[in-house]
Amino acid sequence: MELFLQRLVDGLSEGSVYALIALGIVIIYRGTGHLNFAQGEMALFSTFVVYQFGEWGIPIGIAVIMGMAVGFTLGAVTEVAIVRPISKKSPFAVFIVTIGLFQLLNWVDGAIWGGQQLPNTGVGSKQVRFPSLFPNNPTDFVTIFGANIKIQSLGVIALVGVLTVALFAIFNHTRLGLAMRAVAANGESAKLVGIRTGRVLMASWGLAAAIGALGGVVFAGISTNVNLGLMFTVFIYASAAATLGGFDSPGGAVVGGLSIGLIQNMAAGYAPKWVGQEMKVGVAFLVILGVLLFRPSGLFGTSRVERV
Amino acid sequence: MTSQTTLLNTRFLTAGYGPVTVLHGIDIEVNEGEIVVVLGANGAGKTTLMRAISGTIPRTGNIEFEGRSIKKDSTDAIVRAGIVQVPQGRGTFPELSVADNLLAGAYVRRDGAKAVADDIAKWYSVFPRLQERSTQRAGSLSGGEQQMLAIARALMSRPKLLLCDEPSMGLAPLITRELFNVIGQLNKEEGLSVLLVEQNANLAMHIASRVYLLETGVIVASGSAAELSADDSIRKAYLGF
Repeated sequence: MELFLQRLVDGLSEGSVYALIALGIVIIYRGTGHLNFAQGEMALFSTFVVYQFGEWGIPIGIAVIMGMAVGFTLGAVTEVAIVRPISKKSPFAVFIVTIGLFQLLNWVDGAIWGGQQLPNTGVGSKQVRFPSLFPNNPTDFVTIFGANIKIQSLGVIALVGVLTVALFAIFNHTRLGLAMRAVAANGESAKLVGIRTGRVLMASWGLAAAIGALGGVVFAGISTNVNLGLMFTVFIYASAAATLGGFDSPGGAVVGGLSIGLIQNMAAGYAPKWVGQEMKVGVAFLVILGVLLFRPSGLFGTSRVERV
Repeated sequence: MTSQTTLLNTRFLTAGYGPVTVLHGIDIEVNEGEIVVVLGANGAGKTTLMRAISGTIPRTGNIEFEGRSIKKDSTDAIVRAGIVQVPQGRGTFPELSVADNLLAGAYVRRDGAKAVADDIAKWYSVFPRLQERSTQRAGSLSGGEQQMLAIARALMSRPKLLLCDEPSMGLAPLITRELFNVIGQLNKEEGLSVLLVEQNANLAMHIASRVYLLETGVIVASGSAAELSADDSIRKAYLGF
C-alpha cells in the first residue's frame, strides 16, 4: 500500500509535467494544425529566464509569472513573425521551421547560460538549487497510510488540476475560448463571423508557450536544476501524451500525460526485473501503441466524421 | 430608377486568386429591402464575388456599403459594418454544438448576453429543428439543417445585408424550397436585404427583386425576375424550359 501510493504520486507528478507540455502542443495543434516541435525548447528558454530572475533575487512565485509572460511573448512573436508568413506558403514547411527553432533556441540558451547545470556555484550562482514552487526540503512530506509523500509532488498535481479546470473554463465559457474553438473548427467561417483569426492564433501560441514555461519551471524544480537537455525527453513524452489523449483534446492531453507518468512508474516499480528504470519508457510506448490500434484518434480525440 | 436607398454597390470589382483573375470588373447594386440574385454556372465566379465583398480575398475596384467605401476594410470590420456571409456548403463549426455555433455568430455584438440569448431563442422559433438539436455537434446535422444553422448563425450578428453563397448546393429540392421560403419570409418580415448567388435559377427567381447574370466573371445581363424570364435565350440557358 505504501509503495503503491508512493508510485501513484510519483507517477502523477512526473506525468503532470508531460501534461503541461502536451497541453501546449494540443492548443497549437487545434488552432493551426501545426505540430510545434519547439514546444519543449520554448519552455526551456523561459525556464532559464526564471533561473535568471532567481539570481536577481526575485522570489519564485513572482518569477514564474514573469517567466510565463516571457513565454507568452515568445510564443506570440513566433506565431506572428515566423509561423504565419511561412504557413501561407507551405503548411509543411512550418513543421521544419519549428525543428529549426528547436535548435536555434537551444543554441541561444547555451550562448547565454552555458552548457552546465544551473544553479552552479562554479559559475557563481547565488541559488543553491532551482527554486521549487512548493516546499521541497527533505522534511517536507506528509504521511498517508504509512507512505511518505512529498509536498512538492502533491503541489504539482494540484497545480495541474487547477490549471486544467481554469483552461476548461476559458475554452468553454469565455469569448476568447469560443473564438479559439471556432478557429480550430473552421478558420474561414471564423473570419466570416467577424473573429480576428490572426489575433486568436497569436494568443493560442502565447498561451501554449506560457503553459509550457510553467511546465519547465515545475520540472526544473523537481530536477533541482536546469540544463540544455532538460526538456528533450519531456517533449518526447509530451508528444506521446498528446497522441494518446487525442491531438485535439486538451483534457486528453492531461489524461495522456498523467497516464504515461503513471504507467512508467508502476511498470518500473512492480516489474523491476523486466522493466526497471531504463526500460520504463518502452512500456509507456507499448501501451500507446495498443490504444492507437483500437482508437486511432487517441482516447479523447475527435475522429472527424461528417455527414454529407 | 427607384427611390430606394442603395445599401451596397460595387464599381469595377476585380478579384481572383494569385495570378488568376476570376472577376473582371463587376458592377452590382443592392437596395435596402431587396433580394438580389446573381445567377451563374459553375466557374462563373459566384463564390469569388461573395469572398471579394466579404474581404476574404484581395480585391480591386470599389465597394461601397451605406455610402462608405469598405474596400480597405478587413473581414471582421465588414462583419461589424453589417455584411455577413453564409459560406457555401457546410460552413458551420462542425465540432461545436449548435448553440455554440449561434453564440459564435454573435461574436461581434456588444449588446450583452441577454440580447444575444433572446436572438438565439428567436431563431430557434424560426428553425425549430435547431432547437431540438441545440446540444448536438453541428457536424452531425443533416445537410439541410447545417444550411439552416449557417443562416441562423449569420443572422445572429444582426446584419443589414446577408450574403448567401449557393444555399441550394447539395440539398434535396424540397429542402431547398423550404430554405428559399425562409429567406423570402425574413426579407418580408424583417426587412432583411439579401444578395444571393445561385445556379439553381428556378427557385431563386421566385424570391428575387432583381437578377444579375454572371458569366465567366462578367455581368452579362440584369433586370427584374420577370424581365429575364421573358427573354428567350436567357430562359433557355438558365431556367431550362
